[in-house]
Amino acid sequence: MIVLGIETSCDETAAAVVTDAREIRADVVLSQLDDHTPYGGVVPEIAARAHLEHLDGLIRRAMAEAGVGFGDLDAIAATGGPGLIGGVIVGVMTAKAIAAARGLPFIAVNHLEGHALTARLTNDVAFPYLLLLASGGHCQLLVVEGVGRYRRLGTTIDDAVGEAFDKTAKLLGLGYPGGPLVEQAAARATNPGRFALPRPLVGRPGCDFSFSGLKTAVRRHVEELGAPLSDADRDDLAAAFQSTVAEVMADRCARAIARFKADHPQGGALVVAGGVAANKTLRARLQILADREGLPFVAPPLRLCTDNAAMIAWAGIERFRLGESDPLTFAPRPRWPLDPTAAPVIGRAGVGSGVKA
Amino acid sequence: MKILGLDTATSGCSAALWDDDTRDDGVPGGRVIVQRSAPMARGQAEVLAPMAQAVLAEAGVAFAALDRIAVTVGPGAFTGLRIALAAARGFALAHDTPVVGVTSFEAIAHGLPEAERAGRAVLVAVDSRRAEPFLQLFAPDLTPIGDPAMLEPTAIAAWLDGLWPSGPLLVAGDGAGLLRAPLDRRADLTFANGDGIPDAAVVARLGATRPVGGPVDPFYLRPPDVSLPKAKA
Repeated sequence: MIVLGIETSCDETAAAVVTDAREIRADVVLSQLDDHTPYGGVVPEIAARAHLEHLDGLIRRAMAEAGVGFGDLDAIAATGGPGLIGGVIVGVMTAKAIAAARGLPFIAVNHLEGHALTARLTNDVAFPYLLLLASGGHCQLLVVEGVGRYRRLGTTIDDAVGEAFDKTAKLLGLGYPGGPLVEQAAARATNPGRFALPRPLVGRPGCDFSFSGLKTAVRRHVEELGAPLSDADRDDLAAAFQSTVAEVMADRCARAIARFKADHPQGGALVVAGGVAANKTLRARLQILADREGLPFVAPPLRLCTDNAAMIAWAGIERFRLGESDPLTFAPRPRWPLDPTAAPVIGRAGVGSGVKA
Repeated sequence: MKILGLDTATSGCSAALWDDDTRDDGVPGGRVIVQRSAPMARGQAEVLAPMAQAVLAEAGVAFAALDRIAVTVGPGAFTGLRIALAAARGFALAHDTPVVGVTSFEAIAHGLPEAERAGRAVLVAVDSRRAEPFLQLFAPDLTPIGDPAMLEPTAIAAWLDGLWPSGPLLVAGDGAGLLRAPLDRRADLTFANGDGIPDAAVVARLGATRPVGGPVDPFYLRPPDVSLPKAKA
């Protein structure tokens, strides 16, 4: 089975060709980073324009790299949401048109499910497993019981973790995007233990996250130190922020593991996904936790943690193998929670329920 | 030559199959085989692909048998115009079919009944969902006059006087209503009947006359609404 995947939900335009033998035949991603950097964040209309401009060329490239024609495909999968709707529509319409013209099934993939199932593409992880989904728009702990079957154990009650990285980077004058820039600054820190930051919700019951207080604490330190920050101050603060995030995540994951083990005594893996899963300090911290808990730890390669189309093609394969596809009347969904039974949390509308910041 | 026309650029959604019979000596000809349309300001992403499928199914023509795809490139609603453009590019990818673009202005102007135009120049106004409509003027033979524009209502009369100082004028398009007040002093002014929405059948017919091969890009006419963050003092 060969599936073309399309991803256009945020600021990466991507196309990939993947087989049900877990083989990525082609995986092309065009980052729009340079288009958005001057604005300090993703501008939806600029993103949508760029998706339209580049998508058909990227699909051509992916098909050529994979060495397949449209006649060789078994289905077309595209991100159907959640995300920036203007971009999602571009990917969905392109996919629907190819599907209609070639008489192929169309599969609208939940972008979050793409992240959630990546570990099955890369590591053939069996259900059930515990998933930490950490990205610019999300921070959730989910039990992945099967394709389309997700149980949310916890989510952020304010900022997504990637959002916290972006805001911290801005406060520290590091620029955008925050994730890699904070990580690089932290790696340069000469006294990473110099600042103690609060660890929101650590030790509290439940598996929810909170990051807005942490960001505020960083701001307070920046104000106390006075502008301009020295390189050493900036790097030490970045290190304090990053290690605190890792500690918070590990604490919340430890609680989720306890619940997961109680419900699924036969075990399963701890899996991370999403752009923030590319952070090496976080990965190392979670590896230690998983070792302690006796769980395998699975972190997909960095390139498959950030947004890509291989994960969309793969999620399409997973659904298609179960006989699922979508009609061409599918309506792109700006919001699309993985666990529709989980109550929306307090805080900014959309966070945790599926809208990217 | 079989051409599939698509439009979602303004407040409608339409698909049509045009069979072009333009002769080698340039005399135009052809007919609409099947056309479908629905008025809608939103939701074209749900309707367009099945609509195009239904048009071809009813005509008994396969996507692979299409000679061309013609699409409205704008201006209009940003998200809307991308819906048909993305679909056109997808159809084109699937069977290596050429795509040609037609502006909303051209589609609307050429969609007016000849009797209604009757020797008048045509001013097309497309609703930009702002106070300033998107505008283009055409001579009575539908040759464009001047460049497309997006103008404050108060600036429209002077702009028009510069391009077409006098003579009978027909105003068309879904933004025509916005011109009633600014042009109330203009003599010999008529507002067109009809919904002022591009029609995919007209888009397909015009598409037959366009050269193929060039890129078919969206025509936004207005940059994204975004400003650079203020530099810190």
